[in-house]
Amino acid sequence: MFAYLNTNKSSVTLDITSDAGTEMLARLLNHVDVVIDDHAPGWLKGIGLDPAAFHESRRQLVLCSITPFGQSTPEDRLHAEDLTVFHSSGWGYHTPSGAEDNMPPLKGPGRFLPSFEAALDAAMCVVSALYEREDSGSGRFIDISKQAVMASRVDYVLGQMAAGDMDVSTRRTAFDLAGPAGIFRCRDGYAYIWMSAPTHWDALAQLLGQPEWMKAFPERWLELECTPERVAKCRFHIAEWLATQDKEQAAANAQKLGLTLVPVNDARDLKASPQFAFRKFFAEVDHPVMGRAIYPTVPYKLSVTPAKIGTPAPLLGQHTENRLAALTGTAIPEIRSLAHE
Amino acid sequence: MNERMRGGPLQGVRVVELTKVWAGPYVGKLLAFLGAEVIRVESLGSLDVTRTFGVADINNAPGFQAVNPQKLSVQIDMKTKEGIGLILDLLRKSDIVVENLRPGAIKRLGLGYEAVKAVKPDIVYVSMGMYGNEGPLSYQTGYAPCFAALGGLSFQVGYEGGPPAGMNVRYADSTFGTAAAYAATVALLHRRKTGVGQFVDVSAVECMTSMIGDSVMDFALNDTVHECDGSRHPDMVPHGAYPCREGEWISIAVSSDSGWRALAGAMGQPGLAEDSRFRTLAARKANEAELDRLVSVWATSRDARELVSRLQAYGVAAGKSQSSVDLVADQHLWARGFFCEVSDHAGQTKSIVGPSWKMSRGAAVTDRAPHLGEHNAYVLGEILGLSVAEQERLSGAGITR
Repeated sequence: MFAYLNTNKSSVTLDITSDAGTEMLARLLNHVDVVIDDHAPGWLKGIGLDPAAFHESRRQLVLCSITPFGQSTPEDRLHAEDLTVFHSSGWGYHTPSGAEDNMPPLKGPGRFLPSFEAALDAAMCVVSALYEREDSGSGRFIDISKQAVMASRVDYVLGQMAAGDMDVSTRRTAFDLAGPAGIFRCRDGYAYIWMSAPTHWDALAQLLGQPEWMKAFPERWLELECTPERVAKCRFHIAEWLATQDKEQAAANAQKLGLTLVPVNDARDLKASPQFAFRKFFAEVDHPVMGRAIYPTVPYKLSVTPAKIGTPAPLLGQHTENRLAALTGTAIPEIRSLAHE
Repeated sequence: MNERMRGGPLQGVRVVELTKVWAGPYVGKLLAFLGAEVIRVESLGSLDVTRTFGVADINNAPGFQAVNPQKLSVQIDMKTKEGIGLILDLLRKSDIVVENLRPGAIKRLGLGYEAVKAVKPDIVYVSMGMYGNEGPLSYQTGYAPCFAALGGLSFQVGYEGGPPAGMNVRYADSTFGTAAAYAATVALLHRRKTGVGQFVDVSAVECMTSMIGDSVMDFALNDTVHECDGSRHPDMVPHGAYPCREGEWISIAVSSDSGWRALAGAMGQPGLAEDSRFRTLAARKANEAELDRLVSVWATSRDARELVSRLQAYGVAAGKSQSSVDLVADQHLWARGFFCEVSDHAGQTKSIVGPSWKMSRGAAVTDRAPHLGEHNAYVLGEILGLSVAEQERLSGAGITR
């Protein structure tokens, strides 16, 4: 995890509970553009970066705080983990789609979804602030709330609800869409099929060789007459068919006809993906302790300034002497003597 | 021009959207919330389905309203040569263009990167595709849940031992949009420093994989494939959602031995803290099914909000699993300005989902999503400098109507 998230970085260690460490941090802060902080609200003030006041003395600094609920967190939300943020945002209650009332809401994929999502908003705000700083010479404070980030990701639905255009309820399916879309078992795993338009239906008919059961459905049933009975019948037949198919081949055949069917990939599939290979999404990195491995890079290709992994994640304090000396002008012997204190 | 100056870090940046549905429009929404002037190019002949979905009035479609506040709309027929010419004229005076049409469609229209670059060499051109612009599978298309399935997320979401169930169907478009918006700001900053624009090619599937990058690394390093595990976590027990009174649920996550002692205290069962089955993380991990059962038994007849207050008072990370009623009633989200009010030109107000962030010197967010072609006069007249007579001719010819 650390290796994945910290490539291309330096590491310096500072004991900021000591006077010398605090002094060195202050010196370092004179030479940085951006500070990213993910401590609890209020912590920044203790290191001399009061969000409300730092701008007076460090006018150019862009300071970004990432917390579960933002800098003004209510008393009853002070203790939080990504799981509780996920549930506070509405995603938990409504995952999976078609949730049954007696089954628990789920946590979502992996361990860090709210953190990764919040990081995207934070990075975007920081870069925008740097852009504006080019003209104004002025930094700013950015307050990222993971809950707000996660809730904003469902704006298409939540925005309609806030506006009074869509019903709110305690239904677990309140975010769902009707229709036969879903995950189905295949011979070698699972596939996801999406169907919402007549073109999808026609493509399915062509793919299956115009089977008898499809003829009983009205022409535009997906849009206009999407009853639970039809959905169940359609899903039954799709399940029966896909159980005899391999996911990749079924997807390739379907896609050529305009049917949105895709394999449900796992990590093995991703590593073997010809598309990821073509785009060089994975990069091989040699870490001094963990050895060689492939790392996911970034999901965007910038034609002029492509992302590159130049160095593996640093070892703890690997750059303490060199970076602090280079950035703050402090002599290395002085840094060493601080380390002994 | 002054009415477009709303503050924020991207004030003065002009963005043109050639987008559909959710992921592309989400990019424009974020950039507009950062202060950019965002112009959607639309036409009656190829309307965004979110303008028509479930409603008769294309100017009051709730879904469109939700994702397009604070934007401008100009109506230009992209199926005419003259319309394409107008769009190129507009791009000549813009900083960023965002497109998420079907693979190859934008090139066929004559608005591919090379064509735009020819008239605006330093344009930041953001192209969004399920699989990105090129490659053996780039011809394939899909909707948000397809991105999540292909990117490896869906496989990990489901009940322990069961088949993959996937995230809620609404997940993925907005994440994809945010990654694209971030990449756009990076390219913009680079252009500000060097004068050089670029082509930004964003893949929805890769965005999804980035959200589980640590799991993919785990496979690369240890050959471990993460399968559905309900709400399990390798370093936290308990870690999950527990039933409360009246069908409500709370989430609880305990990351340390002291946290576990706090939970046992909150449960009024301090003896549990010393129970050898649960004293250490390893022990709790080995007995987590039993621990989950005990927490469920304790929670099930209690009120969710009272439980959360009690757990928080004991220092335990806990929160209600919020339904849509809870979300819209969440006082913290209102107090933060996450839900905010905007109005249209007639003064009609509407609540929207505003920016996730707060920032000093942020942009004002004041305007509802635009009516189709609401800003034709501004775009054609003020930006492109067309005379009133010329605007009337274009409208009469059906190019901008």
